[in-house]
Amino acid sequence: MSKQKQKLNPATNLVAGLVHKIDLIVASVIILAGAFMYYEATLFPPAPNILGDTLNADIFPKMLIVLMIILASIIPFEIKFMPEKIAKIDKDRSISLEPITWKTIVLLIALVSVAEFLGPMVTMFVTAACFPLVWGEKNYVRIAIYSVAFPLFVYLVFNKLLGLFFDPGVLQYLN
Amino acid sequence: MEPILKGLGLLLEWQNILLIFGGVFIGVLVGALPGLSSPMAIALLMPFTISLDPIASIAMMAALYCAGTFGGSITAILINAPGAPPAVATAFDGYPMARNGEPGRALGLAAVASVFGGIFSLVIFIAATPLLAEVALSFGPVEYFGLAIFALSMLASMSGKSSIRNLIAGCIGVLISTVGVHLATGVERFDFGVSELTEGIHFVPVLIGLFAMSELLTQSSTLQDVVRVMSAKSLKLPTFAELKKLKGLILRSSGLGTFIGILPAEGSTVAAMMGYNEAKRWSKTPEKFGTGHDEGIVGPEAANNAAAGGAMVPTLALGIPGSGTTALILAALVMHGFRPGPYLITETPELVYAIFGAMLIANFAFLGIGLAGARFFSLVTFIPKRFLWPSVFIFSLIGSYAYSSAFFDVWVMLISGIVGFFMMRHGFSPAPLVMGLILGPLVEETFTQAMVIHDSSFFQFFESGVFIIFMVLTVISLSSPFWPKIFKKKSK
Repeated sequence: MSKQKQKLNPATNLVAGLVHKIDLIVASVIILAGAFMYYEATLFPPAPNILGDTLNADIFPKMLIVLMIILASIIPFEIKFMPEKIAKIDKDRSISLEPITWKTIVLLIALVSVAEFLGPMVTMFVTAACFPLVWGEKNYVRIAIYSVAFPLFVYLVFNKLLGLFFDPGVLQYLN
Repeated sequence: MEPILKGLGLLLEWQNILLIFGGVFIGVLVGALPGLSSPMAIALLMPFTISLDPIASIAMMAALYCAGTFGGSITAILINAPGAPPAVATAFDGYPMARNGEPGRALGLAAVASVFGGIFSLVIFIAATPLLAEVALSFGPVEYFGLAIFALSMLASMSGKSSIRNLIAGCIGVLISTVGVHLATGVERFDFGVSELTEGIHFVPVLIGLFAMSELLTQSSTLQDVVRVMSAKSLKLPTFAELKKLKGLILRSSGLGTFIGILPAEGSTVAAMMGYNEAKRWSKTPEKFGTGHDEGIVGPEAANNAAAGGAMVPTLALGIPGSGTTALILAALVMHGFRPGPYLITETPELVYAIFGAMLIANFAFLGIGLAGARFFSLVTFIPKRFLWPSVFIFSLIGSYAYSSAFFDVWVMLISGIVGFFMMRHGFSPAPLVMGLILGPLVEETFTQAMVIHDSSFFQFFESGVFIIFMVLTVISLSSPFWPKIFKKKSK
């Protein structure tokens, strides 16, 4: 194997010199999810007799899941027939996720969780204030201006101009 | 004649002109901003167009699509940061030319080549769409099923990191489309007891999540990246003599781009790369490529813009998206109650002509807006990410909520975004998933109809010559990723 290939094909990524370690996990996740969906599909009630077997609701999803599982089982071996492409993917995923990305995911989940209670309008204000802060913005005047001006702009354009209904959420308790 | 006049007449109304120019402005803007893209902009805009005139909304999105392709070239040339994937090839020679002190000339060449490419493909678009639709009108469920399978198989050769992963993403997209009540039997599928899922998963929140949220998470790890100093000066359009010298290349690249655009699933990025490679192959001075050569800018630019027009042909005539972005336009057509496919041109021909007119206007508009404002559009890359991406999230939140005024859709958007982000890290692209999601109902519906017609015998499908042709094309398409290796071995 040439030096270049060795560089693209790090042994650390291989199990028994054949299977890509991370892709094996990726494939397993897809196969397990597929197996679960297949099991779910077996629970679908059959179509009424008058419609015949062809129209059963599970046929198409089952075919699709089987195809998906077959394709997923190839993934761990892809490194054998297209090492350059897998090396590119490896390069991207070798960079571990930054703490800020995890913080962003938590922030997004938190914002969406409270959105129904707060209502879209207040959620926009909270988002515009919290997001730059979590992302490390230190200029508080800029944050203050942005957190008021941008949601107001969105409200005026989409509610007043386009007539989009904004659920009042927490604002309804103000009256 | 009447539909042509009606379609083009719609574009003369001031509100519609305003929407088209708005689409062009947004297109150039998002094209210029690295990370933002025209598919993302269309996904975000889609729910807000519900209250607008359907034809004007679609025309605006078509204009945005055209302009977005060019917008990416501005930053590719000025700061070597392609705003969109189709502009990557433009940066190979555009940025060196800008560094050689001719940024205005590079922009001028890119703009003129884009306009020529765009107009060339529009001529093909308006001529080919009705013809192709007429052919497709003779298709039955078997032929349509074959066509949809062929379109999905093209995901294997779609630009991406892995053909297998593209196909898996396509399957996941189709599988998502099966959630909800099965229309033929009334059986509820994959609803897991969640009442909102019985209606199925709306594609708009999924699209917003996949394109906007996953990119937001990607961008969160690049907050410290510094954009290099830009070198925007003024625009310089190429002279007539220069254009005369480049006319062969422009025509060749436009033809190539249009052809690639027409192929299902292939998009502007593939067209641009092929446009660049072909320009180099045909060039008398290939050694100049990469140093700021005219032909290295004109080739990919004419090809990528031509692909945009070409991609509209299968989208409107067959209901099969020609690219990731046209998959979103197809979704918008469905959302606005149109019936994509050959019936579109028989039922609402004015829409096709309105789209043609909007794209024609867009081609000239981005020449004006893009070039007069090149300096402005390159400056937008300096908008701090700490404010730009929260704004994208706000639009995503409001957009997914606006679709049916339900917070459940906001959750769908968020989950799609997070799952999409991790999928992208492992080499899965969002575009094939979107194609699967959009094509899913067509594949299942035609498969069921065909099975009923042929008494549950799949082998009887092969009695149709058209179906056999599509299956042969499918095999060719699925094997295409292995061709380079096979040919390499043979040549050795």
